Order: sequence, then C-alpha cells, then structure tokens
Amino acid sequence: MKLYRQPLKTQKQPMLKYSISILFLLCFFNGWAQDDAINLSPQDTIVRQQTYGLRVGVDLSRILISQTSEDYSGLEIVGDYRLNQKLYIAGELGNEKKTKQEDLYNFTTSGSYLKLGIDYNTYENWYGMNNLIFIGGRYAISSFSQTLNNFQYFDTNRYWNPDTFPNGSTDARKFDGLTASWLEFVFGLKAELFSNLYLGGSVRIGFLMNNKAAADFPNLFIPGFNKVTDASKFGIGYNYSLTYLIPLYKKGPKKNKGDIENEQ
Amino acid sequence: MNKSVFAFIILLGVILFPACEKDDICVDGDTPLLVIRFYNEADTTSTKNVTNLRVVGLDQTTTVNTFSDRTSADSLAVPLRPGATSTTYLLIANSADEEEVEIGNTDTLTINHETKEVFVSRACGFVANYENLTPSLDTDTDNWIKNIEVISSTVENSETAHVKIFH
Repeated sequence: MKLYRQPLKTQKQPMLKYSISILFLLCFFNGWAQDDAINLSPQDTIVRQQTYGLRVGVDLSRILISQTSEDYSGLEIVGDYRLNQKLYIAGELGNEKKTKQEDLYNFTTSGSYLKLGIDYNTYENWYGMNNLIFIGGRYAISSFSQTLNNFQYFDTNRYWNPDTFPNGSTDARKFDGLTASWLEFVFGLKAELFSNLYLGGSVRIGFLMNNKAAADFPNLFIPGFNKVTDASKFGIGYNYSLTYLIPLYKKGPKKNKGDIENEQ
Repeated sequence: MNKSVFAFIILLGVILFPACEKDDICVDGDTPLLVIRFYNEADTTSTKNVTNLRVVGLDQTTTVNTFSDRTSADSLAVPLRPGATSTTYLLIANSADEEEVEIGNTDTLTINHETKEVFVSRACGFVANYENLTPSLDTDTDNWIKNIEVISSTVENSETAHVKIFH
C-alpha cells in the first residue's frame, strides 16, 4: 500500500510519466527500423533474360573452296539449338566431292555426312552479349564412294621404263557402298556480328571408329572427316560458319544456390 | 571480346593444322622381280650354273640392270613389264664378243603374264603383281634351254623362284 500510494503524489505530472513510457516504446521500434535501413546488399530486380532459339547457317569455307578449286565441291549446313545456359544440341549436314592427285594415282571421293552432338559454352557473357567459346563432341557418319580415275605402277626398276612410271588402266574403277563413322572433338567460337547474325569457326579432331573400305583400294578421304592417314585413326577438319539465330523464346538464367540464400 | 581476336585464333588454327602431315615417301613396297633358277637337265633336282650369261630385253640397247653381265650364276631376277601382256628376254649363254659380234648361244624367252595392280600405301600407290605366267621359248636349231617349268604362276615377291629353266 505504501508503495502504491507514493506514486499518487506525482499525479500532477501524468504526461511526463506517459512520455517516458512512449519514449521507451519508440526506442524499441527504432531498433527495428534501423535494421531495414542499413541493408547494404539490395537485390537486383532486373531479370536478365537471354534469347533461346534455333541457329542455322552454312560453312563459308566449303562454299569458297568450291568456287576457287576445280577439284572440290562441297556444302555444309550447320545448326544448333540451345538447351540451357551453357548447353546446345549441335549438328552438321554436308556433301563433298573431292578429287586428289597423288604422285602416281588420281582418285575422286564423293559422298554425304551427318554429325550430331553437343556444344558447351565456356564463355561468360556480359549482360546483352551472346557470344560463344565452346567445346563440343560429335558422333559422325558418312556414306560415300571412291573412284580411282587413273594410276601408274610404282616400280623402282627402270629397265623397261627409264623415263616414267608405266601407266596402269585408265578405265575408272568405282568403289561403291563405303561407310565410315567417327567421334569428333570440336573447339570453336561464335561471335554475334549483328542482331542474331553470327560468324563462327571451329577446328575438329576426328577419331575414326568404323571404316568400311573396298578390298582393293582403301578410303583415303572421307567426306566430313577429310584425309585418312596411313596407320592413324585421327583426322583434322575445320569450318567457318555464318549462322542466323531464329529466336523462339526468352528465359532467365537459372538461379544458383548463392542467390537463393541472399534472398532469405 | 574483340572480334578480330576471334578471327585471328581461328585463322592460326587453320594454318597450323595442315602442316602436320606425314612425309609422303614410299618405303612400303615395290613391284617384284621375276626369279628364274637354272637346273641341271640331267639331274632335275640340282642347280647348275650358266656360264657367262648375258641378259638383254627385247629391243633394249643395254643389258638388264639386275644382273652382272657375263657372269656365271644359277639364278636370275629380271623385271617384267608392268601393264604389258608379255615380256621378252634374250638369254645368251657363253656370251663373248668376237670382232664386236656376239658369239654366245642366244635363246629368246617370252613370258606371258597378266598384271594385277595392288595398292600398297598412300605414298607408294599401286605396285604390279603378275598372274598366269606362261613362258614360251623361240625354237631354233641350237637351244641351250631344254625345258621350262613354272613353279609359281603368280609373282607377288622376289624371294622365291617362279620359273625353273633346265639346261
């Protein structure tokens, strides 16, 4: 009772009493408000969307060599379809006809090939850029024929033919139904020249897996694989592609783990 | 990234890769020679030397380059004509000159053959192998060659004899 009555003596200053209480209350709320105000890592609300679509085009080098060389004609159609941020399904479809004059014989290889696989983009683009430095793999098949146009016999004894190698049959012999398959490692680049128009290039190392040749004449050139070397299963190729991206839809990058934690 | 850097890297790769090619030198094979062995007519299992043998191709001005001229030997390797259907040699036994005229006994041997081309390697291309060897001897009044026997009718290498000549 005594304790209760004592405050009653201060009844003349009720506002002061409330003010102090309210002050405490305000201090408490102030603490909350401060938490929000000093957030130093504001979230970016812009969604960085990227274009997805089908990119199709041609190999410029094969067109150019077809124009400049009498011994070659070829065309390669290239394409890729974007799966996610880094992966693309990619492929090439081509047709080649090449005549080669070796020291003592001349042959023509003619046929088509198809390569299918994936490209993996290793290049971190800045916002708005859409270039690629990619590595990729392909499984490739080719169906072709070889024609032995003419040949001379290799004979180191020059008794009967002191000046030249004796000519063999000049009747062309055609070897049909030849097939080959190989795996290909690809390293390449694609740079956006103008909106949706890309110039690219790639080098390829092929590893021959299956090579069905005629009994009398081995496969010396395989369309898409290029030159077949003695006692080696490796082949080298390249292309320069001019491609156009047909945009189909836009999609943002998948949020990674770090981003999700920040939001919480 | 600068686009010229893209282009430069591609160009560099294209220039460098075709430079890595094997040397195109043929070391893997050659057209084989026809190997003839001389046997004793009286004892057909034993070899017998031909003395002072000279071998000249028909219509050739020099002796064959695979045999030491006018030496005695019991075997002979001669080149056939790739792509042709026959090769003719003059085999001269006891060859010698007398006042610049050949006084040895000349027999004319013609080998009929078919040529088969065999691919060896990219660098070599095709060599000739021979099939269906059929020898024939021009008969004259004094043949020193008495008989001819074909051991192997195909010529794929120069390691074993293809034709036996009895004298």
